[in-house]
Amino acid sequence: MATVRGFPLLFLGIWLTACSTAGDDRAANDPYEATNRQVFAFDAKLDRNILLPTAAFYTQVIPGPVRDSLHNFLANIDLPVTFANDILQGETKRGAQTVGRFVINSTVGVGGLADVAAKLGVPAHTEDFGQTLAVWGIPEGPYIVLPFLGPDPPRDAAGQVVDIFFDPTTYLRYKQHIWWSAGRVSVSVIDRRARNAAIIQSIERGSVDYYASVRSLYRQHRQNEINNGKTNTNDLPNF
Amino acid sequence: MHLSEMTGGRIRGTFFLGLLAVAFALAIPQARAASPAENFVSVNVQKGLALLYNHGLTQADKQAQFRDFLTSLTDMRRIALFTLGPARRTASPTDINEFVDAFHEFAVAVYESRLSLYSGQTLRVMNSTARAPGDYIVSTRIIDPNAQNAQQPLQVDFRVEDENGKFVVIDVSVLGIWLAIEERDQFTAFLDQNSDSVPALASHLRQLTQQMHNGGAPSSQPD
Repeated sequence: MATVRGFPLLFLGIWLTACSTAGDDRAANDPYEATNRQVFAFDAKLDRNILLPTAAFYTQVIPGPVRDSLHNFLANIDLPVTFANDILQGETKRGAQTVGRFVINSTVGVGGLADVAAKLGVPAHTEDFGQTLAVWGIPEGPYIVLPFLGPDPPRDAAGQVVDIFFDPTTYLRYKQHIWWSAGRVSVSVIDRRARNAAIIQSIERGSVDYYASVRSLYRQHRQNEINNGKTNTNDLPNF
Repeated sequence: MHLSEMTGGRIRGTFFLGLLAVAFALAIPQARAASPAENFVSVNVQKGLALLYNHGLTQADKQAQFRDFLTSLTDMRRIALFTLGPARRTASPTDINEFVDAFHEFAVAVYESRLSLYSGQTLRVMNSTARAPGDYIVSTRIIDPNAQNAQQPLQVDFRVEDENGKFVVIDVSVLGIWLAIEERDQFTAFLDQNSDSVPALASHLRQLTQQMHNGGAPSSQPD
């Protein structure tokens, strides 16, 4: 999702090219681990004390169908970013699916509130410029954990900045535009946290090292997104 | 009617009937025969999900039955040794055996906790890929028949190996995240922070397992 960030693109570009992943040994590519662990501890406290209770309140107060409609609406307005990156990656079929979903859900789906496209068998997917950079062969860079934002290696951080420019709502100017943007980001974050509450609790309960667990989950999930859900069997280790 | 016209007509009729038969055969989806690895996953994983969904069992019975089920389905020692990473080469046999025992109980608790989220749902095998001779990735989707909205089926892959004619599951991936790989990443990080002490890791696993059984707060939370 396109979010407002303060990182200058030039700085990230230099950082990105200066740091490269160390081959297949992902765990070794955490040169700032000590700092990352401290930032992670801060983020985990924020999550436990603010985000999780807010997500729980959101789940209790907002009825399920309304939450689903909000989720669908937010996913729908993210589709232009997905489409731009589908095309940049040469994924024309997926691009057509994205256009189809946007048109169907924006019209028949009443402004994106209903995911009619899914019922018609048009599958959903997301793309972002971080994934596009990966497809273009740009390495991830060192593992970085940012305050409030969590895991955000340089390639993904740079991608998020670029996605702001792919988002048509960036160019809309109307009264209280800033409040709308802040509201959109907030609801997206809370919605996602509410939807993942059970699995995150399960992961945290079973973690020997929660920081290392999240690092592994982030990287594997990201690679899965870059591979469009296909398992690259050659990347799997021998047992 | 001339004989040749009748014969020609019969030939044309036979030809068109043949074309129709081919068209029907092509139109009807040919059921692809499931491979042995796919059959293994389909039959056994659905048993596991059904077991976790069985509200007629007490918690203790469910845990005991799930433990036996998981033990029969997997090669737990092999997975444990994989998750130990480089330390498997330097640890003593006693420490390794102690770790394997602790890992066994821990893995049962983790798998029970994570798979319980999908109990009552249906598994559909999509296809399989041979990564190497005897090493297969079986791709499945888990579908929630009671989903309120049009939820996308969950992508779950099983890595299955043929060990001397017997299939075993050695890893499971949910949305592209392989659990044994995640566990290895965690364990090697823990060992890095604890002077490579395998006994310390085994002890921590036993603590966590007890906490998971009790439904307690995780001790791995950062301060």
